[in-house]
Amino acid sequence: MAQGQAGGTPPSDAASHQGDAAPAPVFRPPRQPFLEVLGSLTQRRTVVLGVAGVIIFFAVWEVAHYTTPEEKQRFLPAVEQVVAEIAYLFAEKNFIADVGTSLYRIYASFFVASLIAVPLGVFMGCFVKARALISPTTGGWRYLPAASFAPLLLVWFGPTDFAKMALLFLGCFFFLVALILDNTLAVQRELIESGLTMGAKRRQVVGITFRAAAPAILDSMRNMIAVAWTYLVIAEIIVATDGIGAVMMRAARFLHVDIMMGGILTIGVLGVLTDISFRIASRLLFPYLRVRR
Amino acid sequence: MAVFGLGRTAAAQTGANAPVPGTPPLRANRVTKSYLKGSVIALDDVSFDVHANQVTAMIGPSGCGKTTMLRLMAGLEYPSRGDVTMFGQPIMGPGPERGMVFQAYTSFPWLTTRANIEYGLKLQGLAKAERRERAEHFLELVHLEGFANAYPAELSGGMKQRVSIARTLAQNPALLLLDEPFGALDAQVTWEMEEMIIEIIERENKTVVVVTHDIQEAIYLADRIIFYTRQPGRIKADLPMAFKEGRRFRKKEEMLVHPGYVDMERRLYAMMREEIRGRVS
Ligand SMILES: Nc1ncnc2c1ncn2[C@@H]1O[C@H](COP(=O)(O)OP(=O)(O)O)[C@@H](O)[C@H]1O
Ligand SMILES: [Mg+2]
Repeated sequence: MAQGQAGGTPPSDAASHQGDAAPAPVFRPPRQPFLEVLGSLTQRRTVVLGVAGVIIFFAVWEVAHYTTPEEKQRFLPAVEQVVAEIAYLFAEKNFIADVGTSLYRIYASFFVASLIAVPLGVFMGCFVKARALISPTTGGWRYLPAASFAPLLLVWFGPTDFAKMALLFLGCFFFLVALILDNTLAVQRELIESGLTMGAKRRQVVGITFRAAAPAILDSMRNMIAVAWTYLVIAEIIVATDGIGAVMMRAARFLHVDIMMGGILTIGVLGVLTDISFRIASRLLFPYLRVRR
Repeated sequence: MAVFGLGRTAAAQTGANAPVPGTPPLRANRVTKSYLKGSVIALDDVSFDVHANQVTAMIGPSGCGKTTMLRLMAGLEYPSRGDVTMFGQPIMGPGPERGMVFQAYTSFPWLTTRANIEYGLKLQGLAKAERRERAEHFLELVHLEGFANAYPAELSGGMKQRVSIARTLAQNPALLLLDEPFGALDAQVTWEMEEMIIEIIERENKTVVVVTHDIQEAIYLADRIIFYTRQPGRIKADLPMAFKEGRRFRKKEEMLVHPGYVDMERRLYAMMREEIRGRVS
């Protein structure tokens, strides 16, 4: 265990050795095991490990495919088959239009949800009476399963885009409100009080609170849009003719497992890209968080 | 204030509530403040005046109600009984004529040092050129000229407090309220900041109320120390720093060798000992 530290007697008095010819030998700290508590990692190795994880995932999938008995392999297609199927869908089946439709549904409904949820959450976070009035209701809505609204929305609005987007909206809106309320309540009290002692009025106090909570709010939105993606397929089951979910449902009828898995994979990739865009947006919108001495 | 005094005094800002002639900048008048339906009495029938152009330090054991009293002065809370008046008018809420510096860092993270200092001036409706000019003055006053365009994340704890102090002074408050402003800083930075505060007070001639738990700091900064008893908070002693003979020490070490200082410190330690005896913090 005890390494390094050359022997010999220590100097009897405290002294600096700047004049000495040879510098002290380089100290070798103990090797970090893989599971190092409070360990550190270079950016390069972080990327390497992340990529390794993805490769391992696909490798396990691949192995699972080739160890499956041949007559059942079509229920678990190989990675390359799924990728080929995605390529085929894009090339021959105008899959890009379905992807576009799904993206539109997600982004439009999430945009509308945010447009209402952000001001509402901040409003409730700023004013305790508004919170007491509204929060129990919006909070309670989170426990109503959004998926079970699918048939109801179908009856109300028919097989329209609106019905699907309403479902996506219901799936994330109330959670979004609750998260943004928390983000707003987490704003340091003294920040607001110092605004008040500088002469800030109600409107400016709301502004300070919003600016202070904004980075956390964007983070909440990033997490919630992931949930919106999970509702996409459910929404597109409602008598859908287009969208990634509809393509997958059609494939299911004919047991085209490779198309179904291709759809899942496509949604996964789009979700990751969305996540990355939110992170980039956060960097651009809040550059002051990243400057460090 | 020496430099930009005209027009923006407490009287101008409180508007309709004209100051009553002959009344002190602040008066606590039989103030009682209780919390939790009266089960915690933070302050119990406390009365005193804060004198103009003096530094009043409030000191006492932890939980004696120092912060509570300062927040009542700031208008961030209201007394349960009695009242706190500013130039004779009861304080009915926070306002820019009573600037406050908190122990926690309160500079806005999304604004640069200069923009933080200009924030309060913008609220007061000052034109851009004048804002800029005043910001420069206060940047210089707190020795942050080189960090005008830095964000709080780029600043050390001491620098962040300098921003808060500059920002608060820039709004030209009639009263400067400081709640353990250096409580989160290490000893050497605290010492530099204390000397800076003395420098600022000498230059800007302010009425200051400072809360601290540090006996040495209180003696160094104050013209007068109000010592609170612990729970319920009452005034245990009201001590003018007579040994200073009306002057302030620019350097702290000048004070440390003064026999009057040594006596005062001993007295305050004895009081503190009395207050904490037999209690576990
Ligand atoms: N908002 C509050 N609710 C309940 N008790 C409080 C509140 N604020 C302060 N207190 C109590 O009042 C007493 C005085 O608090 P404070 O003024 O913060 O003391 P100090 O600043 O002297 O340490 C303490 O016992 C504290 O617990
Ligand atoms: Mg306190």
